[in-house]
Amino acid sequence: MKSRKTRNFIITVSCLAAATALAFLFFYFVPNNGSNIALIYILALIIIVRFTDGYLPGVFSSVIAVICVNFLFTYPYFALNFTLAGYPITFLEMLAVTLFTSTMTTNMKEQAKLIAERDKLLSEAEKEKMRANLLRAVSHDLRTPLTGIIGASSSYLENDASLTHEEKNAIVTHIQEDANWLLNMVENLLSVTRIYNQSTKVKKTDESVEEVVSAAMLRLKKRIPDAQVSASVPDDLLIIPMDAILIEQVLLNLLENAIIHSQSEKPILCYVEDDGQTVTFHVKDYGIGIAEDRLHDIFDGTPYIGSSESDSNKGMGIGLSICKTIIMAHDGRIGVRNHEHGAEFYFSLPIE
Amino acid sequence: MTPKKQLLLIEDERNICNFITTTLKSNDYKVISAPNAETGLSLAASQCPDLILLDLGLPDMDGIEVIKKIRGWSNMPIIVISARTQEREKVEALDAGADDYITKPFGTSEMMARVRTALRRADSGNSVLSSGQNRYVAGNLVIDYEKHIITIDGKIVHFTQIEYKILTFLSQNAGRVITYDSLISHVWGPFADSNNRILRVNMANIRRKLENNPAEPQYIFTEIGIGYRMIDNENQ
Repeated sequence: MKSRKTRNFIITVSCLAAATALAFLFFYFVPNNGSNIALIYILALIIIVRFTDGYLPGVFSSVIAVICVNFLFTYPYFALNFTLAGYPITFLEMLAVTLFTSTMTTNMKEQAKLIAERDKLLSEAEKEKMRANLLRAVSHDLRTPLTGIIGASSSYLENDASLTHEEKNAIVTHIQEDANWLLNMVENLLSVTRIYNQSTKVKKTDESVEEVVSAAMLRLKKRIPDAQVSASVPDDLLIIPMDAILIEQVLLNLLENAIIHSQSEKPILCYVEDDGQTVTFHVKDYGIGIAEDRLHDIFDGTPYIGSSESDSNKGMGIGLSICKTIIMAHDGRIGVRNHEHGAEFYFSLPIE
Repeated sequence: MTPKKQLLLIEDERNICNFITTTLKSNDYKVISAPNAETGLSLAASQCPDLILLDLGLPDMDGIEVIKKIRGWSNMPIIVISARTQEREKVEALDAGADDYITKPFGTSEMMARVRTALRRADSGNSVLSSGQNRYVAGNLVIDYEKHIITIDGKIVHFTQIEYKILTFLSQNAGRVITYDSLISHVWGPFADSNNRILRVNMANIRRKLENNPAEPQYIFTEIGIGYRMIDNENQ
């Protein structure tokens, strides 16, 4: 508060001083130019009200300006004379200009503040919506594998005597699959907490793109040993700022989605392009593609219960919405499109 | 027949403790376990195990503290068990003297591989050269430490001084993770800038000479945020 007052005062005084100096120059080099001098002061007044808060600086400086004009630049010089013809009019004019502009700029500033506040509220609401969607998707998606695990394990325990070795094996394999799926989800959720911890911006460090790609490939191979993916990176080493753990997670999610949902045996392509300003990662499959009605909201994290896909229980909702959250936090872009023979997901990160 | 190796497991989660113990026992190791750091430390001192598996999230003491305490008097191999997203914690543990880490959750085969690597390293006296190891072999890659020659598919590949230094350090520590900082201080000296861009550039060059496809390396793996791990030496 105090600093704002000081700031107002400094701006007012320096503008008036500058105007006076300028007026002196005019006064000496261009004689008989009373109107120019008044204009210079008016300009100074406008600048003052624009860059200070409240009415006080404007009114104060308009009084000062009138006195200056009277004292310094009108006959008799260096003396106040309020009886000059038309003088009250000049005074009123200057006061009117100041009051008018200061009202206007104050209004403008208030409006700008309102707009900024509304934007903040909107983005808060957007974040809140994303979080709510996520939660809904999570509870939907968590229940399915948990049901499987609980069911399978209790059937194992209760029917121990009657089950054959193969049947037992199948049950345990099933439990393991579901548990792995749960793990996948939990890791995704943990990535999100990493972002929310740091107030929606991620901590970026310079990372080598090829190392992130290869780490994602390694984790993919560990999770799906017979995954058919062919990955490639540019010949030149690319080092860009990012949270590598999160970007690795995004790549892994996209690759895994492509393998699970494309319903195709053809190898998935994973490649990186660099256009000088952004680095774009592509994950391209040669499968069934994405239903047209899903393209626009596929990243929104709404649990998908639809007919055009057979495996809606293990929806890609959460994984993709987390990808979007991560890429947004990197100031990047993420998207999807269908190409001739399947679907292609891509995301780009700024180089600087 | 050699006597059974004795492993100490310090882990507070009973379910995890059970499954690790079962796996290790069925792989013919003797296992003692401790549910907290205090018991763990006193068991480590009294039993002198061949290897310690240490969970970093213990109730009574910070895992890093435990490592430092053990390192105060012993060189026994320590493998740290930690969660995936805590990469800083892993780096701290490795820099405090842990030999390796496993990320939760892990498969039994992964855990056994780490345990075997750590035990083998401990057996060869922690230094590859002193045990007369003069060659590193993995797949088509051979590093001859005496002749300073690296061959792939029998063909000699040329590496710069720095690249060769990196490769020997990684290969002599094959199977375990080497943190960026320890690699930098080994290659460029202890006072080198810890900015690892120069390391990244060198690694990229090595990768282009060594690997068929840098996006899917066969020999040197990146552990994001932590360091590099070179594939195990087959010449053991």
